[in-house]
Amino acid sequence: MKRLSFSHLTSALVALAVLAPIAVLAVLASGAELDLGGQTTAIVANTLALTALTVTGAVLVGVPMAVATAHTDLPGRQVWLALLAAPLAIPSYIGAFAYFAAFGPGGELETLTGLETASVRGLFGAALVMTLYTYPFVLLTTRASLRQLDGSLVDAARSLGLPLGQALWRVVLPRVRSGIAAGGLLVALYTLSDFATPAILRLDTFTRIIYVEYNAFGLDRAALLSLQLLALVAVVLILESRVGTERETAQRPLTLALRPGVRAGLVAAMTLVLLAAVALPALVFGIWLWRDGAGDFDPVLVWNSAYPALLAAAAAVIVALPVAHAAAAGSAGRWLERIATLGFGIPGIVMGTALVYVGLRLDFLYQTMALLVIGYVLRFLPLAVGAIRTSVARVDANLIGAARSLGASPLEAFRRVGLPLILPGVIAGGALVFLEAMRELPATLLLRPTGLETLTTELWQVYEAGYFGRAAMPGLLLIAVSAVALVFTLSGENRLNKARGY
Amino acid sequence: MRRRTVLKALAAAGCLPPAAYGGAPGATGRGEGGSPGAGPVSVDSLPKLDGELTMYLGRGEGGLYENILAAIRKRNPGLELNVRRGPSTALANTLVAEARAGRVRADLFWSIDASSLGIVAEHATAAKVPETLRRQLKPGFQYADWIAVSGRIRTVPFNSRRLAAGDLPDSVMALPDTDFRFGWAPAYGAFQSFVTAMRLLEGEDATGAWLERMAGKATEYAGEFGVVMATSRGEVDAGFANHYYTLRLKQGQPDASVDLAFTRNDAGCLVNASGVTILRESELAVNFVRHLLTREVQTYLAREAYEIPLVAGVPTPEGLPPLAELNPPQVDLERLADLQPTLRLLRRAGVL
Repeated sequence: MKRLSFSHLTSALVALAVLAPIAVLAVLASGAELDLGGQTTAIVANTLALTALTVTGAVLVGVPMAVATAHTDLPGRQVWLALLAAPLAIPSYIGAFAYFAAFGPGGELETLTGLETASVRGLFGAALVMTLYTYPFVLLTTRASLRQLDGSLVDAARSLGLPLGQALWRVVLPRVRSGIAAGGLLVALYTLSDFATPAILRLDTFTRIIYVEYNAFGLDRAALLSLQLLALVAVVLILESRVGTERETAQRPLTLALRPGVRAGLVAAMTLVLLAAVALPALVFGIWLWRDGAGDFDPVLVWNSAYPALLAAAAAVIVALPVAHAAAAGSAGRWLERIATLGFGIPGIVMGTALVYVGLRLDFLYQTMALLVIGYVLRFLPLAVGAIRTSVARVDANLIGAARSLGASPLEAFRRVGLPLILPGVIAGGALVFLEAMRELPATLLLRPTGLETLTTELWQVYEAGYFGRAAMPGLLLIAVSAVALVFTLSGENRLNKARGY
Repeated sequence: MRRRTVLKALAAAGCLPPAAYGGAPGATGRGEGGSPGAGPVSVDSLPKLDGELTMYLGRGEGGLYENILAAIRKRNPGLELNVRRGPSTALANTLVAEARAGRVRADLFWSIDASSLGIVAEHATAAKVPETLRRQLKPGFQYADWIAVSGRIRTVPFNSRRLAAGDLPDSVMALPDTDFRFGWAPAYGAFQSFVTAMRLLEGEDATGAWLERMAGKATEYAGEFGVVMATSRGEVDAGFANHYYTLRLKQGQPDASVDLAFTRNDAGCLVNASGVTILRESELAVNFVRHLLTREVQTYLAREAYEIPLVAGVPTPEGLPPLAELNPPQVDLERLADLQPTLRLLRRAGVL
């Protein structure tokens, strides 16, 4: 009982901390002029159009790939899966940066090949780039639901005379709908909160205008726009909470034999996506490195990026344990968890704006590493909670009870029985928080301690100054460190899945 | 290091185009208006800096200002200098918020644009500029609340394959009447200063109309180096940018298709200044600013950054017509701090 209340107390505190920035914004926005006029309509339209196009794109790219890597006789499916998940290691603004510089008159591609290319800008440019870096969410969630399918149902449909295409449409699709929806909503959340991609590709979305207003002495307007953006985010979160997961016991894995033509088409399409998402940015940044050299790149930036992210990962895991524990214990805990994980929906630029003002009132926090880490934790805690909750749910209370009855102290029981069981979830969650915190840009710009330049802030300043060549080192290093963190995340999840018997 | 060597080699090989913009080769002589006798101070004559300083640095000009800070750090091992980098407008905004909360964190604010300096001086209590510093500066650049460090001129860079200097009208107000595509960076502090100057010279209505007409033919960039690059690539025909971006681009790529045009006696050729505000007065802060006015730093700014040195007696950069041949408008830079009405116009035109 005592442990339970401790978990609930921690959850309640975190929930309060998440709600605080929203309260701050409400106060700041109270004086704002509402006459943003036609501008607001345009911002809403741009934001919604970008989100809709990106979700559509991510589903169109992600779902066929999920089928191909889950249920076909495609050779090397595991390798394909790893490759197709790789864009997760590349922040979308790196892609935006590369596409911005590669295409258009006088772009890197024209310089390289002499062929004129159209610019990748605006709504369609931003949607294209966002799609390339968010489809893995749909791929992974859809694949997870596909893996739970019982293959014999499809076989039954086929033996009753349904052609393959129809069988997929009528038997498979309805049962993976929730997986696709979960992935699509995650994509929507990412698109709504992404700041740098629309900024680089020049689309006036909420995040970009909030940044512009914030920097043009329009703090009240920035706060008002932030609240409007949060309303959109809330819609996505409500939809997300309605997506249920149906489970069925997988009897026999389904395997589809592909006709050679279809297989060749699939391989070509997947290769094209990889070329667009991974090879092109690597090429552009590689050209810059080759042409401009490493310049006066300061290696300390790598540490400056990793250090706050490590602190955030550790803090998020420590906070996530009681939140996940409370959520597993009952409905009150689940409600607290739901509030505590709202932070993921608060875009970085909004979180940053609010916390700067918290900092100005609480002097000991202003421009400190602590405030930056708090910002990261509030924003990325849900990732840790999600990973840890699944593993906490697996810990049978009887196991701890058995250890206690055999004479173990509570601490020993946790250390020797509980912890090993939840460790894969802790590693996966921590790595995920590290990954996101390290490449976070807008909140970092606003909250970082004076003197702390990270790989992402360096990239942003290089972009604003227009000296693209100098983006090579920070860009490539950011991808490299992200890739390592991604391997940790995926291996933690793999171990979790193996333990669950998938 | 490598970059600088390349630049020097280019300069030595005669790749720099000193006469490309109608300036006579002799135009790179002594700075104008320097009071005789009050030559620039050498860094060797200054006391060593010792202690902790926090500086907010508004745009590092692509690392060039950082090179100066690095050199000062190297000379003064006792100096612990914390630098917060960001767009000048963003840092001014931060400083105003800090001043309102009564917690200004910076000793110094070095900004590329006079309006940010003026706003900060207005909201945070800036220290008065010591007379000894003020006297080192050229007449016309001696202000009460901040110390001018280097000058810059608003220019119209244009794509030299598409058009010649004569194709552009010499009045900035006539530019929206042309059929050309323009590039601009409305979030950039120096651009906002240019619009403020236009407001002061032509009035609110004319400026609002200019912005609205221009918005239809302008492409937005994040910074003015981006504007100049887009102009040379032919993405746009011409643009609005501080002079040095074009000179720096030509230095790296001497055959880039971009040249400079100047308007006459209007906001389009405003002379603006970068400068420093002392926010927390101390001997250390003042001595630090002294370093920025030394012959070494001023020469570096002119040679490497192509900025106009504002300390009397330091030569102006190559490639720029002498100030005497230009017709900059009469605008008191201290009045550029009146930014709010400008932002209102930019918002109304849907440009910001």
